[in-house]
Amino acid sequence: MGRLRSADAWAVGILFSRTGVTSVIENSQFNGALLAIEEINEAGGIHGRPIEPICYDPASVVSRYGELAERLLAEDGVNVIFGCYMSSTRKEVLPIIERRNALFFYPTLYEGFEYSANVIYSGAVPNQNSVPLASYLLENYGGRFYFVGSDYIYPRESNRVMRNILRQGGGEVVGERYVSLEAGAEEFASVLGEIEALAPDAIFSTVVGTGTVNFYRAYLKATNVHKRAPIASLTTNEAEVAEMGAEAAAGHITAAPYFRNIKSAANSRFLERYHKRFGTVDTVTSCCEAAYFQVHLFANALRLTGCMDTDHLREALRGAEFDAPQGRVKIDPDNNHTYLHSRIAKLDEQGEFVVELEVRRPIKPDPYLVVPALNDWNFRLTPMKQGLGN
Amino acid sequence: MATSNIIRDVRALRVLVLHPQDTHAEELLQQIRRIGCRAEASWPLPGSLPAGVDVVFVEVKETMPKGLDTLFGGETQDRPTLIGVAGYENPSVLQNLLELKVDAVVTKPLRPYGVLSSIVMARRIWQEFRAVDKQIAQLKDKVQNIQKVSQAKFILMRLHQITEEEAYKIIRSQAMAKRTTTAEIAQAIINADGILGNISTKKIIYENNDNANKATGYDEVDS
Repeated sequence: MGRLRSADAWAVGILFSRTGVTSVIENSQFNGALLAIEEINEAGGIHGRPIEPICYDPASVVSRYGELAERLLAEDGVNVIFGCYMSSTRKEVLPIIERRNALFFYPTLYEGFEYSANVIYSGAVPNQNSVPLASYLLENYGGRFYFVGSDYIYPRESNRVMRNILRQGGGEVVGERYVSLEAGAEEFASVLGEIEALAPDAIFSTVVGTGTVNFYRAYLKATNVHKRAPIASLTTNEAEVAEMGAEAAAGHITAAPYFRNIKSAANSRFLERYHKRFGTVDTVTSCCEAAYFQVHLFANALRLTGCMDTDHLREALRGAEFDAPQGRVKIDPDNNHTYLHSRIAKLDEQGEFVVELEVRRPIKPDPYLVVPALNDWNFRLTPMKQGLGN
Repeated sequence: MATSNIIRDVRALRVLVLHPQDTHAEELLQQIRRIGCRAEASWPLPGSLPAGVDVVFVEVKETMPKGLDTLFGGETQDRPTLIGVAGYENPSVLQNLLELKVDAVVTKPLRPYGVLSSIVMARRIWQEFRAVDKQIAQLKDKVQNIQKVSQAKFILMRLHQITEEEAYKIIRSQAMAKRTTTAEIAQAIINADGILGNISTKKIIYENNDNANKATGYDEVDS
């Protein structure tokens, strides 16, 4: 990406790590954002002016996110930034965004308990993914759970939520372990030993980054494929599955708003364009989709305002809807989070996610839900009709 | 104290915001509702608090409006959790925060961050004070009862020329027989002694009472 700016372009900042531990998923988000920008530009831009992305690579180093956000706002003069995967990196960017009253788009699921007027959140919060996943696992696999996660804020809070829901459903957590972000085979060896000894019904994994691939591979090596408990996750995605291989992935479960093989006109169009641009759809994930539709939501808002002023854009964004690849989404004017779909998918022998259950309507985001209720009718899942998408 | 319940129960709280209608109040109300509490606003200050309010956010300035004193000036026992909304951090405002005995403070300009933490911390402090108040009341009661029983014991010892232990046994067996507390029986003995004493020569009784007081070591005789 060049730093040369055409005078009449709408400049936006892009802050995803192209290298480092979270680069697999952040590259996927980067591609999603870029694809949307190119689509908009090909269609003539906004009011005749193209959107120009100014991209930096924080290299998965937490403090770099803050520094580069500052640079985007102060030196490059942008007012809108798309970026971040881990909560810790979002927390670096947040004060800088607020101080300069800029607008920040965060296309990643996270643990909730945050609201900033300067952020548009388009990933799932626990009421949109944890609750449906817990009810699915309790119903299909049993009540004994083992938790394993990367050691930072999201896994810990996510596990707290999960523990609460499981207790309501009569389940129990038999073990809980946290590993480093770069965890490799050695670090997972003791975790796997514990899993073997405890023989849980399901493993709830909030391992993110390169640790994910290492964990699924190590689990494959350590266990009998036919007898093992499934690993259930909110983050494990198509890009990581492509890396770990179909054998390591088969039988495991992910809950997310979007999966690649959703059958809808919007998704087909999205995948076709993605393939044309990047030569593969292996790297399409739910976070990629979130980054993609966020850019479109932003562009639609910009079309209305005709200016980059934060207050105007925010007004235009609140309540805005878009036909995303996952289905219709809407920014909740109450909390700047997004109404999202909720789906549970299982990986088949080919390493493809097969959506087994989904909620009928997008779920309203509830970022401050302390104790989600397992039996909330909002989260009721309906089985997928064979061969039919939404 | 079950502090984990404070977090769990946050969304069941009914919150009242006493603040002039402006962007601060609006921001605060929105954040409280985002958190998931029931929130309402009232301004100017109401004459009394609506029933069932658990938490009150109240604007605190360098001057204390009269209404505020009527609302929160009295005993803190039956008061909802109080969180001050301060525009300035100068000594006059701080003094008023102290006088109102607020449980927590949020400062203006109001930001969404911190509102939840303030509610949680304020609830903890509020709960702790309620628990301490209750404990103090219980201890006061206990001390008074011990006082009564020992006074009654000395009355019995004097009248029947018996030992302290025997006197206590009488009080206890009376309490058991009448299915009441030793303190109740002790009170009855003290009352009876007062009345009977008044019927006979007053002068002697006064002296006796004085002696009894000296003997128990307590100055106050509540009969």
